[in-house]
Amino acid sequence: MSRGKGGTGDGTGHVPAELLDRYAAGTADADAGTADVLWAVEVHLESCAACRDRLAGAVARRSPQTSLLLEQVRDGLVAEVTRSPRMPPRRRWLPGTGRLSGWAAWRVTPALLPRLGMTVLVVLVAVGLDLADGADAGRYPSLVLLLAPVAPLAAVAAAWSRGLDPAHELVVASPRAGLDLVLRRTAAVLAVVIPALGAAGWLVGVSPARWLLPCLAFTVGALALGEVVGLHRAASGLALGWAAVVVGPSLVTARPPVLLAAASLPGWAAATAAVAVVVVVRRRAYTELESLR
Amino acid sequence: MDEEELVRLVARGDRAAFEELYRRTSPWLAVRLRRRCGDDELVAEVMQDTYLAVWRAAAAFAGAGVGGSAVGWLWTIAARRLVDALRRRARDARPPPTALPVAVAPAAEDEVLQATVGDPVGEALRRLAPELRQVLRAMVLDGLTVRETSVLLGVPEGTVKTRARRARIALREALS
Repeated sequence: MSRGKGGTGDGTGHVPAELLDRYAAGTADADAGTADVLWAVEVHLESCAACRDRLAGAVARRSPQTSLLLEQVRDGLVAEVTRSPRMPPRRRWLPGTGRLSGWAAWRVTPALLPRLGMTVLVVLVAVGLDLADGADAGRYPSLVLLLAPVAPLAAVAAAWSRGLDPAHELVVASPRAGLDLVLRRTAAVLAVVIPALGAAGWLVGVSPARWLLPCLAFTVGALALGEVVGLHRAASGLALGWAAVVVGPSLVTARPPVLLAAASLPGWAAATAAVAVVVVVRRRAYTELESLR
Repeated sequence: MDEEELVRLVARGDRAAFEELYRRTSPWLAVRLRRRCGDDELVAEVMQDTYLAVWRAAAAFAGAGVGGSAVGWLWTIAARRLVDALRRRARDARPPPTALPVAVAPAAEDEVLQATVGDPVGEALRRLAPELRQVLRAMVLDGLTVRETSVLLGVPEGTVKTRARRARIALREALS
């Protein structure tokens, strides 16, 4: 046998059979001379399945007490395991309560679901009005197009709001609190709203290219403004502003708004980038008390 | 199939995987525990506790997704359970039995080994007084804290700290 360092722990060799026998029988402890070798044996055994297997053989041959002990424990375990409760696997729905648990609870607050439903309904109504108007030679600009930029805001507002999330104070106190969680929830909102808008746009013939960037700009803009005045206020303010400045005038004048023309898209892209920078720079604001309004 | 895979199966309630895990790891665990505790009854109790904990909490290991070693995880549970069991026993006002060294003459092979010049760490380790080595083993090899070591060895915490410091100094001198 080589020395302990060559024969045991370095991964190239395994524990010599004779040493394993003495280790199993418990006679290797007697002399201090092998202390370092035994340490190496124990470290090696922790990572080497083959040597553990050989150790099992050595135990069976050399140490009747240990074998007896293993039998006893095994018999005890069989009885215990049969009647022992196990940790339940992770579930997304808690049975019976209809409540979300696990990862879903981090992304969907109770207030988010009704607001998402409301958003989808509003989009449906807009589709209906557009189709009715289209049959009438299309006097008004598409309502779906006008609503699309602010459609996610109602649900985004509920992503980080003390009033709308019953668990908000718990969530804020958790290590995950902050921009990361706000973004997860916003992504969950967009994952529902954007496909809905896409389907609606397809029905009334509005290309996503015209509303997708404004929609993102408003969503990120709400997150940026939310860092200053609170997400709920920011979202409401932006939606009202859009309704007053763009939706109202275009319905009155029956002309599509300049802001949603193809020529304004670079402007929307620049605005999205700018507010995204603001969101990241001021990201700590979501864990401060100011953001809870 | 490796032990990590077996633990994942156990997490799903697979009895056969649990038995296979027991068959593969229990001899190793029993030998390692018996080297640290002279009372077979206590070792059996600790092993039973450990494997029951594995059966109940395998999902915690599988769900953690840490990519750690299942065997290392098993040892961590067992070491903690051993300390807990010794603590209980100490509360019941019985002196904790420590492993009694079996008096046998060193094997001829070891005497030869001892004569050859080994690596400095191994040499230093061998020259260390047994009580210092015990402390090092508990703290370095088994990953126990000072308090857990004091329970395992049945000596006060202050003594554990002193011995650990003396062992460190001795090793550093041997290496310099």
